[in-house]
Amino acid sequence: MTLSADRGVSLRRGGARPPRRSEAGLATHRWFVTPWLFLLPALTVIVLMVIVPFVNTLGLAFTDSTLLREGEFVGLDNFRRMFDDERFTTALLNSTLYTVCVVPCMMILPLILAALVSGAGRLAGFFRTTMYLPVVMSSVVVGLIWTNMLDKRGLVNELFGTLHMVAEPVPFLSDRWLLLFSAMFVTVWTGLGYYMVIYLAALANIDRSLYDAAAVDGAGVVRTFLNVTVPGVRSTMALISVLSSVAAFRVFGEVYVLTGGTGGIGGGDLTMTMLIQREGTGLQARTGYAGAISLFMFVILGGLLLAQLAMQRKQRTP
Amino acid sequence: MTSVRRPSTLVAGLALGSVLMTACGTGGDAASDSSDGKLSGSITFQTWNLKNEKFTPYFKDLIAAFEKDHPGTKIKWVDQPAEGYQDKLSADAAAGSLPDVVDMGPEAAYTLAQAGVLLDIGKADPKAESQYLDKAWQAMTFDGLGGGTYGYPWYLNTGPSFFNKALLTKCGLDPEKLPTTYDQLFDQAETMAKSCSDTTMIARMPAIETFGEYGVPLMDAGGKKFTYNGAKGVEFVERFRELYAKKGFSEEQLNNLQTKEVEEFKAGRLAYLPGSSYTLNDLKETAPDVYKNLAIGPRINNSAPNMYIESLVVNATSKRQALATAFAKYVTGSANQLVFAKKASVFPSSAGSLDDAYFTEDDGDPATVVRVEGAAQVKKAVVWWPPAFSGSADSETLREQIAQALLGKKSAQQALDDSVTYSNERLDANG
Repeated sequence: MTLSADRGVSLRRGGARPPRRSEAGLATHRWFVTPWLFLLPALTVIVLMVIVPFVNTLGLAFTDSTLLREGEFVGLDNFRRMFDDERFTTALLNSTLYTVCVVPCMMILPLILAALVSGAGRLAGFFRTTMYLPVVMSSVVVGLIWTNMLDKRGLVNELFGTLHMVAEPVPFLSDRWLLLFSAMFVTVWTGLGYYMVIYLAALANIDRSLYDAAAVDGAGVVRTFLNVTVPGVRSTMALISVLSSVAAFRVFGEVYVLTGGTGGIGGGDLTMTMLIQREGTGLQARTGYAGAISLFMFVILGGLLLAQLAMQRKQRTP
Repeated sequence: MTSVRRPSTLVAGLALGSVLMTACGTGGDAASDSSDGKLSGSITFQTWNLKNEKFTPYFKDLIAAFEKDHPGTKIKWVDQPAEGYQDKLSADAAAGSLPDVVDMGPEAAYTLAQAGVLLDIGKADPKAESQYLDKAWQAMTFDGLGGGTYGYPWYLNTGPSFFNKALLTKCGLDPEKLPTTYDQLFDQAETMAKSCSDTTMIARMPAIETFGEYGVPLMDAGGKKFTYNGAKGVEFVERFRELYAKKGFSEEQLNNLQTKEVEEFKAGRLAYLPGSSYTLNDLKETAPDVYKNLAIGPRINNSAPNMYIESLVVNATSKRQALATAFAKYVTGSANQLVFAKKASVFPSSAGSLDDAYFTEDDGDPATVVRVEGAAQVKKAVVWWPPAFSGSADSETLREQIAQALLGKKSAQQALDDSVTYSNERLDANG
């Protein structure tokens, strides 16, 4: 497309005969149609798998429909019920706490790791590979590994016991808060490698002369990190904060596996996505109610993203 | 309220799913059953986890024999993993591609029948009733849906209680005096809690069928509302609360599902396991040390022992309804049920099959004892799980609410009230 357009311009500049109407029309046609042809596969997937379900969910949220029953418009009833539902309050609290705790870890720890392993040595390469390994494992496999590690009779408690650090096994998988923090730990452990790779790319783009200048000025490692590295990857940090916020608020796999698919004792570790899954699946699924919770979650995430974008814009403004 | 168009409830994902799962579709060609009463055409028969070395030859022979008896018919057998089978059924039902004959329990059948997807066998084939045990037929007859019968009863399952004699002795209990009622079980569990800190008698919260075994009324007479939050239900939860306060089981165990309970029994940390007819073999093969110390008692109950039922339902929209009905009836007929029951270590639901020598003659082998006692237990047992208590969400909510009561976050009454409200709301929403 670009070629055709450019050729048209160069011909005109060269003073050659102006393109005939049909040639110009063809060029315009190509200019208009070709990009859409390239976009078509992706657009089809997005429309079918994202837009249509989203619009559907939007409609369902205001009905009392179930999986197998035609719904009726019920206005805001689903949203009223949501705020009376103790499971919703629990899930909202857990997902919010998850985001608040996980996002700063995801922004800072991978950067430190990336800074440590950004060299070209063999050892750095080894650590880069090792740290990336959890990324390629499924969250279920990771969850199962950590379930066995953190169990009452698992490796961690055995180790604590052997070292006489605890009199009783630590209830990593039965205490509501410990389980949630264990799941956060698993999420961070899994995500470190992924975000580290993004930071490595960002670090490679920082002008080396800035480090040389900092060295000449006598800046130490910490000072150089804070004054050169961090400002150099600020936009990447913003990107990671967005990506990790969305991922953390939508947490499912880690908590699901660590709780054995139950949502924790008394449902104390339910998260938003687990609640949606519980209400929106199965033969008696209340799709209307599940749609309302999904819509609420969308609004929260959308608000979060807009707030982050606004903050970034503010930071960029001198 | 304004009526809206039927939501494409199953969103685009399910539409795609239905395309991918056309193999499970209503199968068969477009022609209808022939008018001369002769069966013809093809149907799809769906089972779960039954296509394996043990059962495949049985089903292949079964289908071949049927097709031979009915020339011109074709049965397409589809088997899928049982995990999340309700979700798979949901996708099929919502996409209108439910197979013609499906293996399912009454709790799944209830919701599908409520949606008008299943054939009322009671109306379509009223003579069939006499071919099955009355209690099995009743288990598939749903009072809450006007008394229709929505599946041919297939196999039944119940089992004894298993005890670890070594643990009972170690914790000050007499293995010769096994508990037979819940009151005795709770008393012995308290004794065990006093003597042993690392083992327990009970490792799982009561499920809805356990409430039935305790004698709690589960639903009203019309089968429209749950009632397990009455005085008897509260008393039952209080017994668990007292036991928990006396360290009769750990906080971790409040979250246990059946698989974890079995694991703990096999690991020798649990003294009591309510089993099924195939638990004995499983223990023999996977936990030989526990098997050596096994004591077997009757299923614990204060009213009647529990049993489970599996049925074959017929898709009400099947284009080959006559063929589907005939095939479902054939599979659940006495002769075929008996062969299957022997192979699968379950009990037949067909009338008279339990009188077979296989279920009545004791040769002294532990497996035979369990089988013979199990068959005798079927005669007293009740399918306690109300069909309207559908899906895992009801069960999860009940377990979570009981856990909250035990942790002191709410009273037993409040916990059961909340659980009943939730289940009633779901039932009404689908009504």
